[in-house]
Formats: sequence, structure tokens, C-alpha cells
Amino acid sequence: MTAFMQTDSARQISRGIAGALLVAAVWEICARGLNLPAYILPSVTSILAGMAGDLASLLEAARFTATESFAGYAIGCLVGMAAAILVTMIPSARSIVLPLATAINSVPVVAYSPLVLLWFGIGMASKIVMVAVAVSFTIFLSTIAGLDRVDRKSVDLIRSFGAGRLAVLWRLRLPTALPLIIAGMRVSTVRSVIVAIVTEMLGAYGGLGWVIYQAVLQIDFVKVWAAIIVASAISLAFFGAISFVERRYVFWSKA
Amino acid sequence: MSGSIAYAANLSVTPAGRIYAAVKPILWLAVGLLAVEVLVMAFEIRPYYLPRPSAIASGIMATPGAYLAGLWRTFLETALGFLAGSVFGVVMAVVFHRWLALKELFFPLFIVSQTIPVIAFGAVVVLWFGNTLFAKAVISFYISFLPVTVNTLLGFSSVDPRQVQLMRSFGARDGQILRRLYLPAALPQLFVALKLASSLALVGAIVGEWFGDTTGLGVLLLQAMYNENVVGIWATIVVSACLGMGLYSLVSFAERKIVFWGGEQ
Repeated sequence: MTAFMQTDSARQISRGIAGALLVAAVWEICARGLNLPAYILPSVTSILAGMAGDLASLLEAARFTATESFAGYAIGCLVGMAAAILVTMIPSARSIVLPLATAINSVPVVAYSPLVLLWFGIGMASKIVMVAVAVSFTIFLSTIAGLDRVDRKSVDLIRSFGAGRLAVLWRLRLPTALPLIIAGMRVSTVRSVIVAIVTEMLGAYGGLGWVIYQAVLQIDFVKVWAAIIVASAISLAFFGAISFVERRYVFWSKA
Repeated sequence: MSGSIAYAANLSVTPAGRIYAAVKPILWLAVGLLAVEVLVMAFEIRPYYLPRPSAIASGIMATPGAYLAGLWRTFLETALGFLAGSVFGVVMAVVFHRWLALKELFFPLFIVSQTIPVIAFGAVVVLWFGNTLFAKAVISFYISFLPVTVNTLLGFSSVDPRQVQLMRSFGARDGQILRRLYLPAALPQLFVALKLASSLALVGAIVGEWFGDTTGLGVLLLQAMYNENVVGIWATIVVSACLGMGLYSLVSFAERKIVFWGGEQ
């Protein structure tokens, strides 16, 4: 991912575009030349045509999914960071909470989705909860890792100047942790969209996951691919926005 | 993980301390389960929201065969996809590293494809390969190879060019430099990705099963949900948790054995 950020030179960007066009061309030629049926691989042009035809309903579904992911993402980030800061401030809580969080984090998130659907219904609330859960654990673990990176000697130094616990946190620990926190936030963008879509597949009133599931049942694979492309556009935009914030405001990050 | 470092520090104290450190998590788990059991009974929480841990345990014990079969099936799918994905991920990293033009052409696409909600492909992949174990392994494979490639490349970039020049000056060939210098240097980063990939592969396998299958943990989840069988959902969550933690600790164990010099973490 860092490699992507360093690709500022024009040559690398143009090569990247060339690669994308190459893949699209090979795809188109394969689909048309081998006369593949749409359920195996629809051609790029037919997917784009399908997107244009269904634009209104796809955009409505995209709005649904985007709202769920953003809301869940925001809640998850806040909860994850707050919990991590709390655990760092109270060292005795740490030895219990940290193994527990690692254990819960290793449970595949999607395993909770039937439960959350039963608890919160099949409206937007259940998706927001799922996204918040998934995001908060990632943020929690990366925030803890970041807060731990602080050099013991720096803490001693700033303490010797009379800084209290909060000052150490605000002036030293958080700035040191921020690069890792925002790296976790960057990874979580993609995760939040995926979790929203997966939960929608199990039951929803709308959204891209719902569209994909319905299209699979109706064996409409052009629509499946169209929804996949719209979903990718959302997560790419989301990822790009957080990366932009990262480069702009976390300028001291080198990792 | 800093948690495992804390454990490692505990381990090296005394034999008694060692036993305590090993038993401690189990002890806390038992205390936690007991607390939940008591709380559920005390506040009369309906099983619909949170069944008692003992009810979940007896739910598993009632039909252990179904859970074991599901566990085994999902494990096979995950392991197959994860192993294939890891090997492919490292190979792609080596290829990209060796031929820079290929990297510039296709690596951005790799990054973009990382932002694709891969699980949406589940339906398409199941259609391509049928309702087989192989189809789910393919989904796990696709999800798990991307982080491996990204992190291996990251690890390669941490190699000091002067070391490469030194080895060159002693007449080392490309293959030797790769095996002796680049791959060991990338191992710590690689294992960070492998730990991530192992849990991603499990998610891929479970979601893959939602698109139609007869055995597996994903199937058990769906069936329990359609029957509003909350105990069944919890039982499957517990079994999936065991599988997830088992895979994670297997990879961590391999990491401690292979990356004995500790790496960055």
C-alpha cells in the first residue's frame, strides 16, 4: 500500500492505467472471442451497458450501502480508539482485555451476522452494528500497538518536565500512535464496505449486497458484475479519501 | 502482537510462573463464562438475546457430529485456499520484484482489487466451479493472496542495497540473493500478512458456503438463522471461534519457530 502512495511519478501512473486497460482488453477479447455466456464471464462493454441501464437502482443501492458503511465506520473508529486509550490508561485492565480482544478478533466477523440480524432486524441498524464491530476491533488493536510504540525514555523525559498522564497521552503517545492508527483506519475502509455487503446478502431491504443476492437468484450475472463494480468504486473512493487525509495530516509518518 | 511478547516474558520466569501463565487465560475464560451464566440467570435474559453458556455447550454436545463435520469441511476449504494463496502471493511478489515493468503494469491493479469487496465474487466463483469444496477454496485463495503479496514486497524493500552489492561482489547469483537475503528479510512482514490471511481465508470459506452447500460452518449458521435457533447460532460462533483461533495460533507458532530472530514486532 505504501508503494501505491509513492507512485507519484507520471510514468508509474501511466503504466498503471496501461495495465488496467490491458486487463480490460484481454477480458473483452476472451469474453467475446470465446463467446462465453454471461453467467461465466460477461464482456466489459456489456457490464458497462448493464450499469448504464440500471443506473438509478444501482445508485439507490449504493447510497444504502455507503450510508451503512460510513455510519458503522465512524462509530467503530471512535469506540475502538476510546477503548484503546482507556486500556492504556488503566494498565491492570490490559492483561484481561487484550487477550480477550485478540480472541474475539480471530472469530470470523461474518459469524456474528446471523445473530446481529436477529437482534437488530434486517433494516440498516444491523449493518451499522456489524460494520462498527468489525472496524472497532481493528482500530482497537492498531491503536494499542501504536500507543505501545512510545519510547520509555521519551515518557520519562516529558514526565521530568512535569507532564501529567493526560499530557503524556495528548502530546506524546497519540502523535506517536497516529501513523499506526490511521493505517488501521485505511485498512478498515475496505473492511467496512465488505461487511456491510455481506450482511446485506443475508437479509436487507436494499443495498448492493441485496442487489447481488437477488441478481444471483435471478441468474442475472451482468447485474452481479455491475453491482461489484459499483461496490468497488465506493470502497476505492473511501480508501482514497482516508489515504489523502493520511498523507496530508499525518506528515510525520514514515511507515 | 505485544500480548504474545508479554506472555513470552512471563514464560521465562519460573516453572510455577510458567504453569500459571499457561493456565491463566483458561482460568479467566472459566471465570468469564461463569459470570455470564450467573448474569443471564440473575437478570432472566431471554435465550433469544443471550443463551446461557451451558445451554450452548449442551447444544454442541447434542449433535457433535454435525459440528465436527462442519468444522472439518470448513477447515479443509480454508487450509487449501490459505496455503495456495500464501504460495501464490509470495511467487507474485518475487515476480513483481524481479521484473519491475510487470510490477508497474499490474501492481496498481492488485491494490485496486484489494479494495473490491471480494466476497461479492462468491456467487460468481460458486457458479464457475460448482458447489464443491474447491469453489470455496478458490474464494479463500483469492482473498488471502493479496495481503501476502503486498507485505512480501514491503519486506523486500527493507533490504539494504549495500548488502545486495556485497553478495554480488562475492559472485552470488540472483537466485542465491533471493533465497539467502530477500526472502529471510521479508519473513517478519510476511508473517504479519499470513496471520491476516488466515482469518480472511476463514471468512472466505464461511461466506462461500452461504451460496449453497450441505455441510460446513457457514451452512450451520444459515440453517440456525432461518430457524431462529439462537443457541445454534451461538454454538456455530463458538466452533468458528475455535477454528479461527486455532489457525491464528498455528501461524503464530510457525512464526515463532521460523522467525526466531524476532523481526520487527
